Amino acid sequence: MINLDPVTRRLFFRNSGIALGSAALAPLLREQAGATPATSLLHFPPRARRVIYLCQSGGPAQMDLFDYKPALEKHFDRDLPDSVRNGQRLTTQTSGQNRFPVAPSTFKFNQYGQSGAWVSELMPYTAGIADRLCFVKSVHTDAINHDPAITFLQTGSERPGRPSMGAWLSYGLGSLNQNLPTFVVMTSATKTDGQPLYKRLWGSGFLPSRHQGVRLRGTGAPVLYLDNPPGVSRTTRRQIIDDVNAMNRLRLKEDENPELSTRISQYELAFRMQESVPEITETGDEPARTWKLYGEDAKHRGSYAANCLQARRLLERGVRFVQLFHRGWDQHENLPRDHQKQCQDTDQATAGLILDLEERGMLDDTLVIWGGEFGRTAYCQGKLTRENYGRDHHPRCFTMWFAGGGVAAGTTYGATDDFSYNVAANPVHIHDLNATILRLLGIDHLRLTHRFQGRNHRLTDVHGRVISALLA
Amino acid sequence: MIMEDSHKRDTFILKRGQYDQRGQKVTAGVPRSLPPLPGDAEINRLSLAEWLVDPRHPLTARVTVNRLWQHHFGVGLVKSSEDFGVQGDFPSHPDLLDWLAAELIQLKWDIKALQRLIVTSATYRQSSQPSLVALQIDPENRLLSHSPRLRLSGEVIRDQALFVSGLLVERIGGPSVKPYQPANLWNEIAGPTTSAYAKGYQQDTGDALYRRSLYTFWRRAIPHPGLQIFDGPSREVCISRRERTNTPLQALALLNDTIFIEAARGLGTRMIRDSGENDTARIRHGFQLVTGRHPSPEELTILLRSLEIHQRTYANNRDLAAELIGVGESEPDHNLTASELAAYTAIANTLLNLDETITRP
Repeated sequence: MINLDPVTRRLFFRNSGIALGSAALAPLLREQAGATPATSLLHFPPRARRVIYLCQSGGPAQMDLFDYKPALEKHFDRDLPDSVRNGQRLTTQTSGQNRFPVAPSTFKFNQYGQSGAWVSELMPYTAGIADRLCFVKSVHTDAINHDPAITFLQTGSERPGRPSMGAWLSYGLGSLNQNLPTFVVMTSATKTDGQPLYKRLWGSGFLPSRHQGVRLRGTGAPVLYLDNPPGVSRTTRRQIIDDVNAMNRLRLKEDENPELSTRISQYELAFRMQESVPEITETGDEPARTWKLYGEDAKHRGSYAANCLQARRLLERGVRFVQLFHRGWDQHENLPRDHQKQCQDTDQATAGLILDLEERGMLDDTLVIWGGEFGRTAYCQGKLTRENYGRDHHPRCFTMWFAGGGVAAGTTYGATDDFSYNVAANPVHIHDLNATILRLLGIDHLRLTHRFQGRNHRLTDVHGRVISALLA
Repeated sequence: MIMEDSHKRDTFILKRGQYDQRGQKVTAGVPRSLPPLPGDAEINRLSLAEWLVDPRHPLTARVTVNRLWQHHFGVGLVKSSEDFGVQGDFPSHPDLLDWLAAELIQLKWDIKALQRLIVTSATYRQSSQPSLVALQIDPENRLLSHSPRLRLSGEVIRDQALFVSGLLVERIGGPSVKPYQPANLWNEIAGPTTSAYAKGYQQDTGDALYRRSLYTFWRRAIPHPGLQIFDGPSREVCISRRERTNTPLQALALLNDTIFIEAARGLGTRMIRDSGENDTARIRHGFQLVTGRHPSPEELTILLRSLEIHQRTYANNRDLAAELIGVGESEPDHNLTASELAAYTAIANTLLNLDETITRP
C-alpha cells in the first residue's frame, strides 16, 4: 500500500472537495459570441480578457538580459562557491565538468524609466517600455531539461497529456468570436537552431479537443487544408458546398439532428474562413506606423515580428489566447553571439506589440507574458573567455515579465542571490504564475476543474497561490 | 532477454516523483478490492495474465464488453468506459452488461463472436430515426430506443474514401507508412536539429499512400493532422473513448486534402467507367457507393444540375481540368476525357462530403 504524505493527502482531499462543487461552473462561463462577456459568472472581476503569451523556448539567460549581477565580475573564472550550488542537481551536459567557473555577462546594463528597471543593452526596445512591465526575477521551475520544462510551463505538468493553458482558458471562458478559433498558436523561424516543440504544448489533453490551439502557419496556407486544391476555383468550391448543404438539409427535414445542423453551419464557416483567415496574414493594409513599431522584419511572414503583428490582428478579431513560440534561446556555447541574434529577432517586435496594443486601447484588458521554460547558469559551460561563454539550463531562478491588464506595471518582484543561482526573496513557482494568470482573467485556479481518470484536474494541479503583489 | 534475466529489480516509491529520492520499498500486488492472485503462483506476468482472465474476475469481461458495446453504439452501457470505480457511471443496463460479460467468457473471449452477437441484435438493427417521445424523455438515448447516428472516426473516413475510389491497398501488416501531409509541417515545429527526423517528413510513394489509416506513421510530438482533425488522440495518455467533434477544419480537410481529392477522382472514374454513358446512372452509382442507398429525386436533381455546371466549367477551361485530375500521385485514366473526369471528380468531392457519407448508419 502506498502511504501518502499526510499533508499532501489532506491537501488533495481539501482541493478536490472544492473542485467537486464547482465542476459545472465552466460551461456556465461560456460566452455567446458577440454577447457581453459573462463576467458575472466568473469568480472575480476580470482584469484581462485576452492573453498573448510570448514563449521564448530554450531558456533565455536571465543574467544577460534582466537580472543584473555586477558581483559576478569579481568572480570571473573562479569556481562557483559550493555554498551557492549547495550540491544541487546539474544536467549531464555540465555535471562532468571539473570546474564551474563563473561567467559574468559581457553585456552592459542600465536602469530605465521611472521604475529604474535594469535591462541589458541586448534589449534596447524592451528597455524603452520598462515602465509598462512587471518583472518577476524569482521564477523557479521543477524541470531541468527542455521537454519536461516547457511541457510543465505550458500544461502545469512535466508529463505529457495535460491540457495547455490556452485550452484551459478556451474551456473556462469560451469564445469571443464566431469565425476564428479561441486559441491560436504561431511558431517563428529562427536564425539559430532551436529545441523542438511539441503539439502537446497547445494540446487539449483530456479536455474536449475543440479547445486545443489551432496553429496558424508561417508558410503555405495559414490553416491546414484551407486552400482549394489545384483545379477547383472559388466558384466551384461554392457550388460543391451549396450542394453538400442542400442535400444535408434534405436529410435534416427527415431528422431534426443537431449534429447535422452544426455540420451545415461548419461548412459555411469553412467557406468563410477561406476568405477571413488569409485576411489576417495579409498585412498590406497596415499603416506605416506599424512597421515603425514592429520593424521591417514584420513584413516577412513567419518571422517573430510578423507573428507579433498577427497576434494583435487576431486579438482585434476576437481571438482570446494567442501563443507565440520562438525557439533558439538554448546557448550552451557562444551565448554572447547567439543571444544577440535572438534579441535582434525579438526585442523590437515585442516592445512594438506592447506599444501598439496601448495605442489601440487594447493593453488595458490584454495580458502579455514573456518568458521561457527555465533560465541559465551563472557558471560557464565549456571554454570561458572574457568575450565568450556558454551557459547550462538553470531551473532555480529566472526572469519573466508581464504587461497589460491588471498587472502592476513598472515593478519588479522577487530577487536572486549575487550569482543569480538561488532565489533570495519572494519565490514564484510556475504554478503560482499560472494561478496568478488565471486570477487576472477572473478565474479562481482552484475552481477551474475537469474530471479525468477518476479525479478533478486543474492547470495548477494541487499547487499554486496567487501572487497578489503582481496585481495592480 | 528480460525473461531470462532471473534477477528481480528492487522497486521503490520515489518521493515526490524524484528519481533520486527513494522511499519505501514496494512489491507487486493487486488491489485489495479485487480477488487475490492465485495463492501458489509466482508473482510475474503470467500469473497477472491468468488472474486477469480468471472467470471469477469481476472486471475484465465487463470492461471488455462495455468497450465493444461503446464501439458500436458510441456510448458504453457504462458511460465512463475508462472508469468502473466508485467515481464511474452506473450502467444503464446492468443485467445486459452482466449477461454479455458471461457470454464473452462462454465464447472463450472470442471478440468477433461477441460483436456478431451485438450487431445482429434487434437493438442494434433499429432505425436511427428517433421518435418525438424518445427525443423528449431520453435525448441521450441511454435507453436505446433507436440506433445511434455517429460520425465515423478519422481513420474510417479516410479508409472509406480510399475504398470507394478503388485506391485502397488492402495488404495487411508491415511497417508504418507516411502518406501525404502538408509540406514543412515537421520542420516548422521541430526542425532541423531533431536528429531522429533530421531529414523532415519523408513522404512515401506508391502503394504506401493508399494503405489503411491504421498504418499511418504516428509521431507523438507532431501527429498526422488528417487524423488529429477528426479527434485522433495524441497518444500521450491512454484514453478509452474519443470525442466526436464537428468543426470547420474537418470540412476543410475533407474538401481539400490531397487524399480526398485523389479519392474523389477515383470515385469519379468508377462512376464513368462502371455505368455506361448515362449521367443519371453514373450519379446513382456513385451515390450508392458512398451512402448504400439510391438517391431521392431531389438529390438526383441537385447532382445532375451541378454536374452540368461542372462539365461546362471544365470543358471551357481544360487547364483547370488537367490540374484537378492531376492531384495525387496515381495516374488518372487517360482513356477518359479530362474535362469529363474533372466534372465527375467535383461531383465525387460533393458525395464524399455528405453528412450521410461520414456518418453511421
